[in-house]
Amino acid sequence: MLRLLPWEYGVRNLFRRPGRTALTVAALTLVLLMVFAALSFVRGLNLSLAISADPRVVLIHSVGGGENLESSSIPARSAALVAASIPGIQRRYGQVYVSPELHLTTRVYVDGDEQGALGVIRGVAPTALLVRQQVQLIEGRWPQLGEVAVGRLAAVKLGRPDEALAVGQTVMIEGRRWRVSGRFAAVGSALEAEIWGPLDEFQQALKRQDVSLLAVTLGPGGEFGEIDEFCKERLDLELQATPETFFYGNLQAHYRPIRLLIWSIVALVSGAGVLAGLNTMYANVLGRVRELAMLQTLGYSRTALVLSVIQEGMLIAAISALMAAAMALWAIDGTAIRFTMGAFVLRMDSVAVATGCAVALALGVVGALTPALRVMRMPIGESLKAI
Amino acid sequence: MALVEVIDVVKEYRKGEHVIRPLDEVSLEIERHEFVSLMGASGSGKSTLLNLIAGIDRPTSGEVIVNGTAITRLSRRQLAHWRAAHIGYVFQTHNLIPVLTAFENVELPLLLLPFSRSERRKRVALALEAVGLSDRADHYPRQLSGGQEQRVGIARAIVADPLVVVADEPTGDLDAESTEQILELLMRLNTELGTTFLVVTHDPRTAGIAQRRLRLEKGKLLDRDCPAHVATITEDE
Repeated sequence: MLRLLPWEYGVRNLFRRPGRTALTVAALTLVLLMVFAALSFVRGLNLSLAISADPRVVLIHSVGGGENLESSSIPARSAALVAASIPGIQRRYGQVYVSPELHLTTRVYVDGDEQGALGVIRGVAPTALLVRQQVQLIEGRWPQLGEVAVGRLAAVKLGRPDEALAVGQTVMIEGRRWRVSGRFAAVGSALEAEIWGPLDEFQQALKRQDVSLLAVTLGPGGEFGEIDEFCKERLDLELQATPETFFYGNLQAHYRPIRLLIWSIVALVSGAGVLAGLNTMYANVLGRVRELAMLQTLGYSRTALVLSVIQEGMLIAAISALMAAAMALWAIDGTAIRFTMGAFVLRMDSVAVATGCAVALALGVVGALTPALRVMRMPIGESLKAI
Repeated sequence: MALVEVIDVVKEYRKGEHVIRPLDEVSLEIERHEFVSLMGASGSGKSTLLNLIAGIDRPTSGEVIVNGTAITRLSRRQLAHWRAAHIGYVFQTHNLIPVLTAFENVELPLLLLPFSRSERRKRVALALEAVGLSDRADHYPRQLSGGQEQRVGIARAIVADPLVVVADEPTGDLDAESTEQILELLMRLNTELGTTFLVVTHDPRTAGIAQRRLRLEKGKLLDRDCPAHVATITEDE
């Protein structure tokens, strides 16, 4: 049976050279903080796109417009035709869950800002709130004539402070001034980076009579096939249907290179962490060659000694992981950042914390294993004479 | 049958194209309760022979048998377990672990053996008492003098009641007063507890306390058989 060294031995060894241990913990904490930042970026992006997709919602857009809804254009009358022709659409109290929307990226000017910034705007009808059930008004009221409601990350998307889009402020869109009447949240989805206004007023401002898409909620017995069939039959309308989950799934695939880049950064940063760990553990272990040989002389197996050294590496890594996770929760979690599609929030959720801690422990093992194995390969008699 | 039998042992090292032979067909027997010293010039192979008997090195040829077990035929894992159960090792520099107390250092060999916690505590207490350090059990090595550290090292070597205690220059790093104390302790352990000792030393005083003194010269063992004192313990006791 494998007999291990006392747990206290590994713990107390950390305090033999407290300065060196503290420096290693500091370096590893910094490395892990970067790992946590990268993980929270990936988690935030993934969750934002995953939350945005409602499995009951189907998007109807122009043929070939599924990749980029902003370039999609369908006749405004499509909404009435779809509502009247497809029985599988959700209906309640005479309301049909069809939301015609005008969706585009355009320059938005806040007060005192002459340059403006690209913002995502969406012209919506009252039925939008039936279909977009994630959306919740958190401040003010729904927009009336000449007004807009802003998502809680809309200011981030514009690169402006939250106060610039506070309720009561005005913004300039497409040459018209709009008053901010309210702010909404959408459970962290991509919609939170948008500015919403009345569909008809946006159409007037943009001199457009069409809409970009219809967002449709399927009823309890409704199937995507019904909508798909309708689109294929009405060739005159040039419509195409895409499940919202499929649309956002495509977007996730679109951002795969970014995620790969992030993971590459994680790997590089982790490599630096391994070097820091290796450096310390080499110094720790080489300084104890004779002691480790003495323990072998007493009868401790090489495996027991390697495990003890790994325990030390993992303890350093665990302390660093705890500190880095606490710092990340305090400084990184919830930070909003903008990207091409809108904006999203960095998320230090349980998956990010668990993954970061696993990376940390792996760094501890890899950092300790190499020096431990090297020392253990030395003959005991020779090691006992080491200075 | 002798407790330790070394039969025609050869040990060779290869250093580049040269073959170094520190032990050349060495044979030796050590009886139970015997106190044997081994002297010789630096590089004469004293420590090599000690390490072969302690099972931390293997001969190029020949056999080492301890209490009927041919340890040269044991696997590395078996040898480690055998060392834990049957060998006590006293090092030149005490080799105590600085982050463990005297008590914890002495307890280390017992953690490898099937002793209960209370049995371990009892044995450690007895070992520390035997070396006169019961009142230093909770001290860390840095809080002890050089002589006290070596006594803790001896307590660690005897705590598991090994078949044989091997000591490599046990007084090599000590001043005259501490050396005297350690030599007295080793003699007392041999006469009172019947511990079998094989001590490698440069120091004639240390060699002088042995019942049998051996000398290694150019890889060959010379038995000088000069008893300084005679152990009164017999196997029956």
